[in-house]
Amino acid sequence: MLLAVAEFVIIISPLFLVGLISKVKALWGGRRGAPVVQPYFDFLKLMGKGEIISTVTSPVFRIAPSVGIAATLFALFILPVPVLGSVFHFEGDFVLFAYLLGMAKFVMVLAALDTGSSFEGIGASREVTYSTIVETAFFVVIGSLALLTSHFSFETIFASVNMVAGYSPLVKILLLASLFIMLLAEGSRVPVDDPNTHLELTMIHEVMVLDYSGPDLAFIQYTVSLKMTIIAILMADLLVPSSTPPIPALGLFAVIVVSVFLLVGAVESLIARSRISHIPQFLFLMTTFSLTAFAVAAFFLFGGVK
Amino acid sequence: MTDLLFGAALIFVGGIAAMFVPEKAKAWAFVLFAAVAQFVILPAALKVLLNGQQLALPLFLSEPIGEAYLRLDPLAALFVIVTSAGSFLTPIYSIGYMKMYHDRGMSLSSHFFFLGVMSASMLLVEVTQNAILFIIVWEMMSTSSFFLVAFENENEEVRRASLYYFIAMQVGVAFLIAAFAWTSALSGSLDFNSFSSVLDGHGSVAILLFVLFFIGFGTKAGFVPMHTWLPKAHPASPTGVSALMSGVMIKTGIYGILRILLLTGIPDYRLAYGVFFVSLITGIYGIVNSIAQDDIKRLLAYSSIENIGIIGMGIGVGMLGLAYNSPLIAMLGFFGALLHIVNHFTFKSVLFYGSGVVYSQTHKRDMNLLGGLGKYLPVTSAMFLAGSLAISGVPFFNGFVSEIAIYLGMARGLSLDSISVVVVMLLGFAGLAFIGAMALLSFTKVYGITFLGLPRTEYHATPTEKERTLLLPMVVLTIAMLAIGFFPWLAVELLMNVVRELVPGLPAAQFTPVLGIFRTISAIVIGLAAVTAFFFGLRNFLLRKRTVGSYKTWDCGYQVGSGRLEYTGSSFAQPFLHLVAELVPREISVDKEPVFFPMEASLESRTQDLSERYILKPLIALLNKFLNLFSWIQSGRMQQYIMYGLVFLVFLLVWILGIR
Repeated sequence: MLLAVAEFVIIISPLFLVGLISKVKALWGGRRGAPVVQPYFDFLKLMGKGEIISTVTSPVFRIAPSVGIAATLFALFILPVPVLGSVFHFEGDFVLFAYLLGMAKFVMVLAALDTGSSFEGIGASREVTYSTIVETAFFVVIGSLALLTSHFSFETIFASVNMVAGYSPLVKILLLASLFIMLLAEGSRVPVDDPNTHLELTMIHEVMVLDYSGPDLAFIQYTVSLKMTIIAILMADLLVPSSTPPIPALGLFAVIVVSVFLLVGAVESLIARSRISHIPQFLFLMTTFSLTAFAVAAFFLFGGVK
Repeated sequence: MTDLLFGAALIFVGGIAAMFVPEKAKAWAFVLFAAVAQFVILPAALKVLLNGQQLALPLFLSEPIGEAYLRLDPLAALFVIVTSAGSFLTPIYSIGYMKMYHDRGMSLSSHFFFLGVMSASMLLVEVTQNAILFIIVWEMMSTSSFFLVAFENENEEVRRASLYYFIAMQVGVAFLIAAFAWTSALSGSLDFNSFSSVLDGHGSVAILLFVLFFIGFGTKAGFVPMHTWLPKAHPASPTGVSALMSGVMIKTGIYGILRILLLTGIPDYRLAYGVFFVSLITGIYGIVNSIAQDDIKRLLAYSSIENIGIIGMGIGVGMLGLAYNSPLIAMLGFFGALLHIVNHFTFKSVLFYGSGVVYSQTHKRDMNLLGGLGKYLPVTSAMFLAGSLAISGVPFFNGFVSEIAIYLGMARGLSLDSISVVVVMLLGFAGLAFIGAMALLSFTKVYGITFLGLPRTEYHATPTEKERTLLLPMVVLTIAMLAIGFFPWLAVELLMNVVRELVPGLPAAQFTPVLGIFRTISAIVIGLAAVTAFFFGLRNFLLRKRTVGSYKTWDCGYQVGSGRLEYTGSSFAQPFLHLVAELVPREISVDKEPVFFPMEASLESRTQDLSERYILKPLIALLNKFLNLFSWIQSGRMQQYIMYGLVFLVFLLVWILGIR
């Protein structure tokens, strides 16, 4: 029951969290900024509108946002909420998690190609290119966790990862760093991408959805914010000790998720967007961090320092 | 067992019968025989697969073969089912597809005759357990498929490709002959069962023999660096044949490896590592090259190499599980590999069949000249999309199920108490994820560029789907893909006996957790379908009374009405290929006048196969150099040849007189 409530809160909160990023950026820049709930107004406005659909497109274009949002929601259901656990869990569920995110990506890339616009083609091409780096590194992250805990599902991994003593802070810091990079990449945030620039040749995600309007666009914007929330939850799962009683644990969980988003806002205020040719280098940082985490974990497990 | 022989004979006779009926009825005649054969073969093979029994039939043939056993165990039965299904669907497809050649005045007799020979010999390969007889049917399979590839032999490219294929097969079989001869010399018998006494040792001979077998069978399967024939032969052959070769025939190589593994028992851990690494490299290499291709069929051929890599990784995990005495890991690895064999048959056949529809309607294979075909070919487009999703491992479809089993096996391997296994498993874990992400790139490219957007060039005739026989095989296989995707536990029931054969002493109870996992996945997939439908319904409900306009694509300015400005397949893949430039060397030739305002210019970029360039070509050059040492024998001078005759006669005289 508590889990259902928690999942409900998570499902409605992503837009708030995105609003938080904008607020941080505004305050940092000395502006008052839009209210934190502005994304909800945008969402409702879009849901109330009609659409214009390109004559070039096929049914793939129309169904893609619905597939994307559903797949991302199910990825959320696989992730555990600290102490409460997850809706679905089975051995190897992290593979399904990664592949559900991949599925959302697959259909959105096809939808971009469906418009026949070379502009959207650019975005689609970059999106799939960078995902090859991010997805590989993500599996190294999972592999390190599985090695540390000898468990093979998110729920059991996170239940025991906080009990492994000694070396785990180092591993955890490295894993958190990789997950944060993944969040920036998958959520199309600075320095990988900038959600505020619609009309530059440098962006990725925004350009892919240039032709969407109305409810479909609302779905897409919600999906992106949900994806960021999901990765923030992964980071929180790594940090919340599993022995905490439910209420403080959930409080800590919420605090961590919110601070991850505040951090994203801070990053956006501090750094500029990278040149496109430098993005792979930035993403390879995620590979480096996760491989180092794995090496550290393996060293401590097999190096005799137990 | 006799049912199976009878079925193979029926298909063979079908090929002969097709020669004697009028051109238009040839395909139907063959299909009739192949259909009857299904009723004979499938029940027998299914029974063996589900009951786990073994059937054997001794044949008494003249020397040197002698007594030859045909055996049908669950492993063989699995391959027999795949082969049988493939050799039924391809002729159905050929009914429509081969009309193209008939219209050009070509006779289809050779196509159906060799299709019969190939299908029958593939079935025999899977049950024959006598070394010499095996080599004979193996060669029948290779030779008949060579003739199938060479069907359009008035085209020079096809001739070159088919000869390349033929030579590659002969090189492969040379390794097999060496391996079989050596093994049977040591064991003293030609029967496979006697081989285990030779193969199961851990000595250097057993290892060397396994390597020889692996190279021989791996050439057929398409492991790197023996894969180079695939991207040449697949585009050259008629599409039904490409589908049969990629979906079924290359799997006979995998069958061979598994058969040898079965005889080996517990493999040496070094072999397990070897197989795993070769497969990992094959997978990555195959898909990277697949991304670089613009010819649809070449792209699919490279993707077959990738999938052989995935299957091999599963086998490697299974072998590691056996070597490190962990039946659970072995089970997961072998289960994933076996299921991926079946899965790859389904989706790769669909993809090839789809590419054939595209080719038969547009006469183009270069996707940079295609586009927008989804509007003309809706069914093909939907099936091709299903195949693309399945091969990229998207949940809903079967590709995901086999991959998750292999992932699980590797994840389990991470808990083994050996640093080397752990590191290797992590490499595999990340490697398979990398392969999966690249498959996503490759297949969004091939589907998106070919079927979506606008046509990039004009089609001379409007592409249509009038020919229903082209669609039927795709529909059948797509249903199979969805069935395994939605109800993965079916696959466990089906493959349980084969896995138990490969992992000796595996209790049936070990499958219970896997069944549990698959039941959960099944529930999630059904839920996912429902939620997707909900959102799509919500969207349509919201839009029902609102204005839904349609206009040209907005790409920061309105699109011009033609596809000439569209993104092409090459440009879509460019950012990624830039990252892996070392793996896919590209030759770019620019042809332009050296003036400031050239009137005409052209640019051509070709990707090269790394292994062909750096491994095979130097090897062949070396061989040529060696063989050139003997070129003086054939100098072309008449005097010298007369002298050979003279020397020979003198030698003969001396020999005969000497013996007296």
